[in-house]
Amino acid sequence: MSIEYGFSFSNDKCTQCFGCEVACKNWRDGELGVRWRRVYKIWAGRYPEVKLASVSVSCMHCVDPVCVKTCPVQAIQKRPDDGIVVVDKGKCIGRKSCEKECPFGAPQFGADGKMQKCDLCLSQVELGKESPPCVETCPTKALQLSKLETKEKGTIENAIQKLVEGAASTR
Amino acid sequence: MSERRKRDHWSLDRRTFLKAAGLGIAGVTMGRFPFESFTMDEAMAAAAKAGETATPTICAMCGPAANCGVYAFTKNGRFIKVAGMKESPVNKGGVCPKGQAAPQWVYSPERLKYPLRRVGSKGEGKFQRITWDEAIGIIAEKLKEQKQKYGPESLGTLSPASRTYSEYVYRFLIAHGSPNYGHSGICSTQMSFGFHYTVGDFPRTVDYANSDLVLVWGKQPFYSGPAQEAARAYVSAKARGAKLIAIKPSVEPDVGLATEWVPVRPGTDAALALAMLHVVVSEDLIDKPFVEQWCYGYDKLKGHVQKYPPAWAEKITGVPADQIIRIARLFATTKRAGIDLGNGIEHMPASNDTIRAVAILISITGHLDRPGGNVFGRASKMPKPKNVNLVERYTKEWVDKLVAPEFPRPFQPFTHSKSAGTTSYYFGLFDSVLTEKPYPIRAIIAPGSQAIVTTRGGKRVVEALRKLEFYVVADVSRTSDMPYADIVVPLATPYEIDHPFEVRDNWIMARNRVIEPLADYKSIFEFICDLGVKMGYGADFWGGSMEACMNDQLKPLGMTIDELRKHPTGILYEMLPRKYENYETTFKRKSPAISHAPFLPQGMVAIYNTSFEAAGYSPMPEWREPPESIAGTPELTKKYPLILSDYHTSNVYTASWQRNVPYLREIHPYPALHIHPDTASQRGINNGDWVRVESPHGWIKVKAELYPGIRPDTVMMLHGWWQGCKELGFEDFPLLDGGANVNIMYSVDRKKAFDPVITAMSSQTLVQVSKA
Repeated sequence: MSIEYGFSFSNDKCTQCFGCEVACKNWRDGELGVRWRRVYKIWAGRYPEVKLASVSVSCMHCVDPVCVKTCPVQAIQKRPDDGIVVVDKGKCIGRKSCEKECPFGAPQFGADGKMQKCDLCLSQVELGKESPPCVETCPTKALQLSKLETKEKGTIENAIQKLVEGAASTR
Repeated sequence: MSERRKRDHWSLDRRTFLKAAGLGIAGVTMGRFPFESFTMDEAMAAAAKAGETATPTICAMCGPAANCGVYAFTKNGRFIKVAGMKESPVNKGGVCPKGQAAPQWVYSPERLKYPLRRVGSKGEGKFQRITWDEAIGIIAEKLKEQKQKYGPESLGTLSPASRTYSEYVYRFLIAHGSPNYGHSGICSTQMSFGFHYTVGDFPRTVDYANSDLVLVWGKQPFYSGPAQEAARAYVSAKARGAKLIAIKPSVEPDVGLATEWVPVRPGTDAALALAMLHVVVSEDLIDKPFVEQWCYGYDKLKGHVQKYPPAWAEKITGVPADQIIRIARLFATTKRAGIDLGNGIEHMPASNDTIRAVAILISITGHLDRPGGNVFGRASKMPKPKNVNLVERYTKEWVDKLVAPEFPRPFQPFTHSKSAGTTSYYFGLFDSVLTEKPYPIRAIIAPGSQAIVTTRGGKRVVEALRKLEFYVVADVSRTSDMPYADIVVPLATPYEIDHPFEVRDNWIMARNRVIEPLADYKSIFEFICDLGVKMGYGADFWGGSMEACMNDQLKPLGMTIDELRKHPTGILYEMLPRKYENYETTFKRKSPAISHAPFLPQGMVAIYNTSFEAAGYSPMPEWREPPESIAGTPELTKKYPLILSDYHTSNVYTASWQRNVPYLREIHPYPALHIHPDTASQRGINNGDWVRVESPHGWIKVKAELYPGIRPDTVMMLHGWWQGCKELGFEDFPLLDGGANVNIMYSVDRKKAFDPVITAMSSQTLVQVSKA
């Protein structure tokens, strides 16, 4: 067991303001049509006993990332020291095997056809902060970045995966 | 998201949903990092590291409750991004998507670039470039000519909401001599009126921190200022275990966090409130000492509400009688409880009666200005900056001259904020152009307003704009009304100017310029001052100097704007401790009406309202149907079986603005009609289908969003749709039939569609929905 960076999310605090999604795009100069972070609605129950919740999700930098295994050219790697999953665009051949397998919809493809996704902003020299803009901007602190033991992180991954699977395809 | 994961959205069963959500919550408790946002030093350090500049300023992406502190980052003179200001008491470092997307708004290809004069026919959209001097000269010449021929009251202005520049618009109107400040009447002023004339103040704020139960009624607590106190208070109250009961026709994110949802039919809230009064009165669930000491007319109310039993209300509201009874009992018997009433109830013909009924309900159950209840305002040690609206010049003649009083003349002027003064309601202002009754408005200045898509009866507005002699549009970007303008004035965004200062509660901060103006822009403030000077009102306009203007306003604080600027993140004054039960002073308050009559003639809560009675209106709250409704006009339901209403703001757009901002438009790309999956399937409509929505007054074409959290007899959508987004390839929608402008769908029958006292406009009608 080791310590890694990981996002955690509380749907009891999320107001679905989408601040995280737009902060991500604005701070990383996001390409139109590419969404490293996404907020989804989740419905349950039937009228009038209907419930609405949400999930904000980007790359989870999984403890055991399926994208790393599935990439035919080893363009995706998990950094051993901090657990961040990174892409080598030079190696990527744009086959999108990762997109098919990732349970979080993290891999995105823009105009260059190469995989891109959240890199936790830790590569951003200008940031100078311990938390990325998506976390910094969250008005209710629903989204947080933590250092987690891999077991805890795995539990969160499973929970968020369930939320994402139930998410609305509203757009 | 990959194809594999695209599912129908109600596929998750309740058990899995709650289980997954529970695990998600557990994750947060493991968080190890403290939440941090930028302080001034951190922002400067981060900027320096990246070769950027950070400027502390105030976000300008929503309103009227704006004032989030931000650091705006520039690189090589270009505004590139925004971070929240930790020092700001308003947003405490958080920023919503609108605030984050500000650079795209500033650099939008939709920005107006230079002053324009119309050369084609009205509505054609043909303009010729002119200079600022020419624009100001043409406007001044026309206004002088009309003033001489028709009197100064022939000028009207539009203003969509109380904004920082509202009082400057008043200053111009009053210097000119016109009482006709057009008010759109959709955002809290109606509510303020009803509350003031019932309880002497506007106790809109619920003491969330101490409340065990809040009825969140007709309210969207997150979308207007998601980074502000309302959202934080709501989420904290939930975390504390307070009960939150949401009363509205559809489930939005706040309802998702609520304990219970009361799906009321649009426009029927007065019936619900009257039935709750019926329960409380019949079961004697009142605060007797308070009612005896501080309420006028309770005995009359007892008889009055007998007409409104819960079973009666069930037929109108669609809310089961037993749910009405249970909630009324729960509210009355929970000591620390309040009603957080929202702008939703200002969009119906029974608006004033809803507000009064709710104010009475709060009062007689002992929840007025008590811990956890609806509390009166709280003061700070900050001296108030001087108002610049010149309302001290009003006399009775001004009120008599109003072309279309928003509130009845005996109650004019009415205000609850700095945007004080007399008001004419939007629709009446436009209607006078067509009917010439009591006289026609001849010129309108529209700063930051696009009435065709934001006020009810867009078709009538277009007719009026075709006939109007002179229309001036002053805005940052292209507006829906611009093709009808005679002169178009391009304004600077607040990121391009260094004035004025902004005030929120106990915090005051100077606005700082983030970038130089991108074109030949002036601010709305400079435009008003320049026009004032050109009209010969220079003595009232500080000779055209904004610095002199701000220094004048800051005198009560004992500082100049330069001195205020030395506090880059503003000055925070101490709040005075909250005191409850301020009845003695509040109930004696005088109104700002010409008569200065007290709000409450008896010095008590006006359950029986003698002020309204004297003006010819009902002394007690009553029920009034929307112009078209399931219970009120059943004959229409065969052709139009569904109720249509609309939302006035969303998480990514401020009312009708910002459809041109790509990062926001990506999130909410199409005008979406929320329709229950069963209602949709009966019509063969799938998620994402284009649908035709037809009412007795018009039709629109929008996209169906299958929405499990809406009454099956109701459909709803966001208002204000017309603008395209060039970067994403979205064209404009037509403004009237066949477009996406929901405001053309409603009745504007003067007798049925407007509240008789406060001119609130109906946003309910009946429609049929079919695949387009």
